[in-house]
Amino acid sequence: MFSRRAILPGAGHTAPVRLGLVVAVIALGASPAHADDRLLGDDTFAVTAPGAMQLDAGLVLGLPAALPTGISTGIGGGIEHVCGCHLAYGARVSYARATESSTAWTVTHGDLRVRATGSLRTDAGRGTLALRLGLGTTVVHEDRVRNQGMRAGLSGADLETTATDALPAADLEAVVALRVVGAWTMVISGGPTATWYDSHLRGGWTAELGVAWHP
Amino acid sequence: MASLTTSALLAVAATTCGCSNLQGLGGAVPPLASIQVEVTGDLAAVRPPDDPGTPDLHVALVWGDQWLVEPLCILPPESADAATVIAAGCRDPFGFVPARVDANVAVTIGEPATIDLFALPAADVLVGDLTARVGYGSLVIYDDRDGNGTLTLARPNRPNSTTGGPPMMDPTPTTQPDLVYGASFGSMTAPDVRLAYREGVFVQTAFYPRAGCGDPPPAYSVLAAGGFSASDAIAATLAGMLPQEDPASCTQAAPDASTISIALAPPAGVSEVACTERNADSSVRYREPDTDMPDFTNRVSACVHVPTFGAPSDVIELVVSGRSDDACKGLTHYILKGCRESPDCGTPDWDHSTAPPLWWPC
Repeated sequence: MFSRRAILPGAGHTAPVRLGLVVAVIALGASPAHADDRLLGDDTFAVTAPGAMQLDAGLVLGLPAALPTGISTGIGGGIEHVCGCHLAYGARVSYARATESSTAWTVTHGDLRVRATGSLRTDAGRGTLALRLGLGTTVVHEDRVRNQGMRAGLSGADLETTATDALPAADLEAVVALRVVGAWTMVISGGPTATWYDSHLRGGWTAELGVAWHP
Repeated sequence: MASLTTSALLAVAATTCGCSNLQGLGGAVPPLASIQVEVTGDLAAVRPPDDPGTPDLHVALVWGDQWLVEPLCILPPESADAATVIAAGCRDPFGFVPARVDANVAVTIGEPATIDLFALPAADVLVGDLTARVGYGSLVIYDDRDGNGTLTLARPNRPNSTTGGPPMMDPTPTTQPDLVYGASFGSMTAPDVRLAYREGVFVQTAFYPRAGCGDPPPAYSVLAAGGFSASDAIAATLAGMLPQEDPASCTQAAPDASTISIALAPPAGVSEVACTERNADSSVRYREPDTDMPDFTNRVSACVHVPTFGAPSDVIELVVSGRSDDACKGLTHYILKGCRESPDCGTPDWDHSTAPPLWWPC
């Protein structure tokens, strides 16, 4: 059923093509991708045993703490100390901004979130699942610009106002971490937030995608 | 641990303070400009005797339209009949023509009132391009007789016609329910106080000119000028110039730095500031004469040569004024042959020159 020409490489080619194939085979045999020097080896994705301390940083997004609409985007990071198999504590900081407009105002809120955290965690293979509670404050810096104010000749406080306030806040986040290589871990977290603002408890959410490193 | 301590301290401080000063998208909205107005005079002395009810005085900021008078109203009349029609149907060629009513506020005679402006004037009431444009507004005192809280603008009341062009789509009423009792800027030939809004550089144009006075400052300002005479304006125009204001009569101030005083006046003399105009470029819309005579009750008419700023025309037209009891003056033009835009349009849309209607008087 099968002809010899169909299964032998180079069997149906001209002499120059055959010579090229021979050179290619020799060149490949002499290349660094030899079996003993492969780019991806058995230890390429080996991970080190996690230590007691872990640092992480990543991109943050969520609802602004004090704006009724919009999505804040920014960066964040934290440090965590694992004490025992299922408990950890640490601190986190993030900064995110959101700009929204109404007919009269263009408002920018910069949310600096500072949290003391405590986690319930469990390891599963290369991964770690955790439920992290954060308590602390969100320092909100507000910048309000009166729309059309510059064209109308407004200046000073008539044109732009700023304010800063620290709002008590709490987060409850689900954390999924996957040790990727060496001491590096990919971390995804997210969950609801609560902020005490204007004498009301205001709900929201936050999420973070980042990497972690442990010494 | 330091961050934990800081976080805790801030949280405690915020909790115990309870004094959030964030406003977000809410809170009071400050006006872009505020204008102080005071109405003076005796209303009883200027009020029409047949005006019923209790006056509900308001002041409105009205942005001015760019308008040019039609030739018949500015050129010397060719006959006594023409002069009568011009007197009955032409508004003040140098008068303030409204484009849009902006803000309204109730006022009491002798007590200052404040008009807060929360939006800039729209681009269509500004004259010029993006790098240099200006708008002028007049503050109009009126009795809000229809109770809608805003000054109602009206338009001239032209005779009904069955063949005189497309149906009238303009929703502006031909009657004026509100009684106008005064305006800070009624005519360029009288002293005026106007609100100006300028963007970019200022270029002196014939849009309510005040040559001889300083340029209005950027953004809002209150400007005053003494006015110029009609003869001076015509002479300056013929010389290709702008009529000059007396510099001694010119003032300018920030909107909130002065109070604009407006004296009450009989409505008959100031009501034109609430009358809009259909065409702003001095062009005329001509009508085809109806077979049956239109209702010219309370109107005056005259047969005149079609007026031009150039060579005299041989075409005779019938001009008809508005009614004597109309709120706004206006003229209606009939020609036997021609188009809506001109009597000399090449291929006329109508031609009754060989068989005019029986009522045609010219």
